[in-house]
Amino acid sequence: MANSASRWLLRWKWTLVAVGLPVLVGFWWAFRPEKLWVNQKVNEPAPFDTSSDPTPVLTGRFEAKAEQTSGRATIYKKTGGEKYLRLSDFTTATSPEVHIVLSRNENTGDRIDLGQLKTNQGDQNYDLPAATDLDQYKAVLIYSERSHTVLGSAKLEQF
Amino acid sequence: MFRTIQIASLAMLTCVTGFGQEKAQPLESGTFHGKVHNTSGRATIYKQADGRLLLRLTNFKTSNGPDVHVVLIAAKDADDDANFLKSSTEKLELGPLKGNEGDQNYNIPSGTDLKKFQTVSIYCERFNANFGAAPLEKF
Repeated sequence: MANSASRWLLRWKWTLVAVGLPVLVGFWWAFRPEKLWVNQKVNEPAPFDTSSDPTPVLTGRFEAKAEQTSGRATIYKKTGGEKYLRLSDFTTATSPEVHIVLSRNENTGDRIDLGQLKTNQGDQNYDLPAATDLDQYKAVLIYSERSHTVLGSAKLEQF
Repeated sequence: MFRTIQIASLAMLTCVTGFGQEKAQPLESGTFHGKVHNTSGRATIYKQADGRLLLRLTNFKTSNGPDVHVVLIAAKDADDDANFLKSSTEKLELGPLKGNEGDQNYNIPSGTDLKKFQTVSIYCERFNANFGAAPLEKF
């Protein structure tokens, strides 16, 4: 049995090569299995000058909580290392004693007060204290100090 | 008289070029999701100083594969492993993926309607498979 099989193989070996090789090449071309192990890394520069312009670090969209709130919160790092928070496309309700705070999560627990909200609509910047640990504080809250409610919150994700 | 016109036009020219040197502004941004072919990172569309649109991927990672392209699709989002050929989703080709890891830029054809094309997809053209998608939101 083994003998006849090997004789069959010997007789058809060139046909097998002629058929099998293109099939193998075809499979390789279609699936490119070596790409499972090979990574292609690129590192193209940003479309702005990172040596002089602030670089975005974290960003997130606002969600409405107690009041209708929308827009984006982005934390930028300046070339000197100082960080600031910028609100863009921003809208919230008008209400008294509204502060903007950084928080560990989307609840008010441990928080860093960045000051009173400058205005309820439009683009605005807030400086962050130098020692702010951005690995810990991953949420921006629009917080009413009077009613102790969160008007809106933004969860920050890596830019 | 001629001198004044000369100086005035020079001043205007520097003013115009000064405007031209304004830096790129982010217009839209979103994060990638994709489980079948683990895809993560961020896609941001910038309007460059000269007015052209640019897609930039940051913190980006996907699985390496054959004939993978970056496309914009005319949809709010895309399911993992979606087939845009079957669902006849309109797509706009931005070019072959330069690398499966790292920061990279792609030019967006001028006149592209970003209100229509709202999602970035990492798309395997050979097998019509969506590796990952990033729905874009206003910056």
